[in-house]
Amino acid sequence: MGFEETVRTHAADLYRYAYWLARDPAQAEDIVQEALLRGWRAFPRLRERAAAKAWLFSIVRNEYLRALGSAPPAAESLDGLDLPDERPELFGLEMRDALAALPVSYAEPLALQVLGGFSCAEIADMIGATEGATMTRLTRARQALRRLVTPKDRKAGPA
Amino acid sequence: MICLDYRRQLLAGTGETDAMRVHRLQCASCAAEWTEQGAFEDTLREALQVPVPAGFAERMAQAQVARRRTFLAVAATALVAAGAGGYAWLARQDPLALACIDFVMKEEAKSIMLGAMPRAEAQAALAPTLALERLERVGEVKHVRPCPFNGQTAYHVVLAVPQGMVTLLVMPATRMTGRRHATKEGLHADVVALERGSVGIVGTDLAVVMSVAGALRA
Repeated sequence: MGFEETVRTHAADLYRYAYWLARDPAQAEDIVQEALLRGWRAFPRLRERAAAKAWLFSIVRNEYLRALGSAPPAAESLDGLDLPDERPELFGLEMRDALAALPVSYAEPLALQVLGGFSCAEIADMIGATEGATMTRLTRARQALRRLVTPKDRKAGPA
Repeated sequence: MICLDYRRQLLAGTGETDAMRVHRLQCASCAAEWTEQGAFEDTLREALQVPVPAGFAERMAQAQVARRRTFLAVAATALVAAGAGGYAWLARQDPLALACIDFVMKEEAKSIMLGAMPRAEAQAALAPTLALERLERVGEVKHVRPCPFNGQTAYHVVLAVPQGMVTLLVMPATRMTGRRHATKEGLHADVVALERGSVGIVGTDLAVVMSVAGALRA
């Protein structure tokens, strides 16, 4: 598959991944454009064409980090992270709003897993974390989302 | 397998293993959890699929076609205009310039993840070699961090210029003359001499790299 066809196949998911990193449609578009420019120049040297999808997602991630100029907030810390699922006033959110309330370091592995279809090991490799830490982030992200989308009338404990 | 392990693995979204399936078939509570999680996953997938701008994939693909045409036209023009000498310079793979490209490919993300220096520290660290204010006249400085590079401590800088993003490696201990160049994996690097030390400039667009190099060289 040539580069143009690869782009056609993956552009939508690359955009969605960039969106969940940047949380801004215009910035997501810029990130993907810049990543594809970089990808286009390097594509002839990509030995394993089957790995093109993971390779493009990684380039998008690097472009996001370059645009950000810093690490995503709390990317390294799990224990001190302020997940929003302990804030009952947020309960009852629609799933997309609940995702937007998650820190990038939790939403990103989810996007890679669900949108990209990558395995835990592949995600760990892409985000520079251990497989165990990646699995913990995926689990905690889903736990948080399940709490956040709980209807408000079910948030209270026993009377 | 116990219920706790089953639910933990279910929440990681890694798919149901044979052992999990055997447990689910024997445990009504985990079977109910499996059903609920299935519905949750459908909602999650749908929510992650934010709307993509109309015609985005086609626009991106067409941009690649346009790039290829422009590249071929520019390459042909450059070959004619530059002659053999200019082409030989561009084709040269200088080891220091290649090391700058390798840094971008292998180390840059790590450096960014580790976080940038506070502005005051960056200002003091860069001052003897390439003043921060001088960089800010060329573009917006997004990141500065010291890094081990080529047997010395260099400074990794991410600079946003109007035409895009470039990476700089400010090398206080590398004294050289002239200008060096390399191209690898779709990245171009120029290394130019400063009054004290030198700076490597890496980016995807040769014209932007050369323009920043020209603006920074001593």
